[in-house]
Amino acid sequence: MTARIIRRIIAGFITVACVYALTFIMVVSIPGNPFQSGARNMPPEAEQALRARYHMDNNWVYFGEFLAGAARLDFGPTFTYNEWTCNQIIASALPVSVLIGFLAILVALMVGVPLGVVGAVRRGGWLDAGGLALVLLGISLPTFVTGTALLTIFALFLRIAPVGGWGALAHLPLPVLTLSLPFVAYIARLTRVGMLDVLGSDFIRTALAKGLRPRTVVWKHALKPALLPVLSYLGPATAQAMTGSFVVEKVFGVPGIGQHFVNAALNRDPGLILSTVLVFAALLVAFNLLIDLVYAWVDPRISGAV
Amino acid sequence: MPWLIGRSLIRADDFAETLKGVSAARAVMFRRLLLICAGLIVVSVSLFALTAKEPRADFTYVNPSGIHTLDPARMSWTQDFRVALNIWEGLTTWDPKTLTPIEGAALFPPDISPDQLVYTFTIRENARWSNGDSLTAGDFIRGWRRGMEPGTATDYTFLFTDHIVGAAEYVRWRNEAVTLLTATPIDQTGFHESVLTSHGAELDARFDEVGLRAVDIRTLEVRLKRPCPYFLDLAAFPTFLPCHESTELLRERHHGLPITAEGLVVYDPQWTKPNYHRNDYPGLVTNGPYMLSDWTFKRRARFRVNPFYRAAEQIACRTIDMLEYDNISASIMAYETGDVDFLTDMSAPYDHEIARLYRSGERPDFHSCVLSATYFLSFNCVSPMVGGRSNPFVDRRIRKAFTLAVDRERIVENVLKRGDGVAHSFVPPDAIPGYVPPSGLRRDVNEAQRLLAEAGYAHGVGLGPVELLYVPNDERICQALARMWEEVLGIHVELRSQESKTFAEEKANQRFMIARGNWYADYNDPTTFLDCLGTGNGNNDSRYSNPRYDELLAAASLATQPSARAELLRLAESIIVEDDCPILPVLHYAQTLAIKPYVKGLYANARLWFPFRYVTVGRRDQRGSVLER
Repeated sequence: MTARIIRRIIAGFITVACVYALTFIMVVSIPGNPFQSGARNMPPEAEQALRARYHMDNNWVYFGEFLAGAARLDFGPTFTYNEWTCNQIIASALPVSVLIGFLAILVALMVGVPLGVVGAVRRGGWLDAGGLALVLLGISLPTFVTGTALLTIFALFLRIAPVGGWGALAHLPLPVLTLSLPFVAYIARLTRVGMLDVLGSDFIRTALAKGLRPRTVVWKHALKPALLPVLSYLGPATAQAMTGSFVVEKVFGVPGIGQHFVNAALNRDPGLILSTVLVFAALLVAFNLLIDLVYAWVDPRISGAV
Repeated sequence: MPWLIGRSLIRADDFAETLKGVSAARAVMFRRLLLICAGLIVVSVSLFALTAKEPRADFTYVNPSGIHTLDPARMSWTQDFRVALNIWEGLTTWDPKTLTPIEGAALFPPDISPDQLVYTFTIRENARWSNGDSLTAGDFIRGWRRGMEPGTATDYTFLFTDHIVGAAEYVRWRNEAVTLLTATPIDQTGFHESVLTSHGAELDARFDEVGLRAVDIRTLEVRLKRPCPYFLDLAAFPTFLPCHESTELLRERHHGLPITAEGLVVYDPQWTKPNYHRNDYPGLVTNGPYMLSDWTFKRRARFRVNPFYRAAEQIACRTIDMLEYDNISASIMAYETGDVDFLTDMSAPYDHEIARLYRSGERPDFHSCVLSATYFLSFNCVSPMVGGRSNPFVDRRIRKAFTLAVDRERIVENVLKRGDGVAHSFVPPDAIPGYVPPSGLRRDVNEAQRLLAEAGYAHGVGLGPVELLYVPNDERICQALARMWEEVLGIHVELRSQESKTFAEEKANQRFMIARGNWYADYNDPTTFLDCLGTGNGNNDSRYSNPRYDELLAAASLATQPSARAELLRLAESIIVEDDCPILPVLHYAQTLAIKPYVKGLYANARLWFPFRYVTVGRRDQRGSVLER
């Protein structure tokens, strides 16, 4: 097992390195000048000085220097925000996104799993139909619609939530709710399908036949195997939720890391693009590994595959 | 039981194994894991809730898109200027109502020599930095030098090199050294080291030749290359702000020299933070009415009154919060719910509705003004274009025909509906006292068609597709323009929208026929606009060149009589907006502000300059309504 985990960690490093190399190629090949800002054209001398300063006149040197820095967990400067280093930006934005993402996934599990179970058990009933409608809404409505709607209702009309910002407990519920909706929908669907699958199997029939109460059968025996697909979805979903959502952050004015993904690319800020991508890739790899380990623990049949 | 349908997919031995997985020990672990998760949530949420929060500031405003930099030598955005000019103070400053220069850190007016070439500023005796130090002439020289040195200087070096004796020569000498030093490998036979050492040794002696001199601790003498009637206006500009000596603690040194191995002047960029203390740095020290007391990235900056400012006790707003909202709609909502007292920008997708509310008087708290700024199109005046294609726009008749075909009133009143000013000239009318811009070209369909035919393209025949390059924000304007050209001139216009960084690169590399452009006045003089179209100017995107235009600008720069100078500039501008048409001015931007009725002392002005020291705030209730004044 330990050897397998070590192998997986090494494979994870290789994955992240490949992501870095690919991103780097894209960063240096897209048109646009990271040093150009505002309406004025920067004098060529000033640009030359900046390129020299950041060793960006040679892509190979920059590739190596950034990588060496990243290995020491120092992602260097950004060109968009003069006073802030990539590390400071990530340190300020990542915890915000992690908190919101973590809570959103938790809400999604707490709402999505019961919704899926009820849908499967009462298939065709009004609870199933209602749940399905909610799922459909959750999947098809983009977060900028749900977010704006929630904001308008709770902040503007009812005035029981702030319109946005960060720093108080009251700033949490609306972004968390908005971010969790699509995850609720996916988790409910996955649970429902998994549950239907398991409920049709022989061991459930056996359990029922030996006289166990249907409630015990569903929640104790059927739920665990039914949740396996949810579990495998949880890895990428958690990484995705925790690395921030550009839209949710924009709507609620949350200073998370999602905005830096988008803005760094728009600003052609190589340091910030590379560091946010590396953080995201590392989180994704880590969560997938973690989920696989949990998976093996829950279902020993697949431990050989880890 | 309705839920027991479907075929089995899991075999019986799978079932046995699954049951094995639910061993008692694992169930206990599972429960523990759940407990840990729940504990983590409680801890993280309560930690978050317990983080100390300061009470609301006396006055809160939104800085859309946040602070780019607080380094005065590097800044080029209005939002940054606004912050800088509230925490620092130049030799002069601007009146918020009239925008004319008024007294700043120096006595006003300064002593000006009869030939208008030497300005002697006397710094007030009670001018202090926020740590109590006296403000000196040397502090200004240090700040201005940062605006010239390669490494710290960026967009506004020309303000020094164009006006101050010796500055251009110094900057050229420095840039040549940087080019040489970056090209020389450091490990090569000590050559790099010797160049660096000799250059470094000469630095201060060379800088002494620049026309800046501290006559005594409080007297600064500035020698100009030519008379500059707007120099007192420039002296208030952020690039001309002073810099406290403690900044030197964060200067990078290389082998004892005050420059890097590349010959650059580099400071630790975090010097503008209030709580930064590397190398015993005291944190940002400023000399303006306010000082920065806290700055969190992308969230908030808090300012409080600088206790050493000369009129500190007269300032009503003791604390100010600047919030950053990336999303204009969110900031408008925050204003509506009373979380924010002042919005400097409401350019949301529904800005026409905001402008309507302002015009109809339904929202007396909305204020609008036309800025000293112009939105225009640049015609590429170089042929052949990049890629070898011939460029019809080298012919001024075609540029003029395109200009005459445009109905700007329709764009401003029917398309945008934001209350922008129609632009027939590059310099906005009524923006600069003593200057009346030429009347420019009005829409004249017949003349446009005649000129196009004269150029050999009657009804647009033979003039292949014309490309218009712009950024996504301009979609509505550019579609309207394309329609007008197609209707009047019979020309097919290809619209090419590019995201702003790609747009900037395409424009810089001259890969366009017609490109959008905008220009905001830096100082209150027509030359802030007109200089851009001079031959070889770095911002001359058209690459337009007309010796007569350059001559008129040169003559104006030597004129000492204000009316004669204005007339020369007007003549020059008439060449570009009536004869040669390298640019097509479309509109002068309007901006709508929202100021809560209980806030007094803010004025909508063409430069969006808001000195907060004049602001008073009445009491408000929870929803932001005023209780008493």
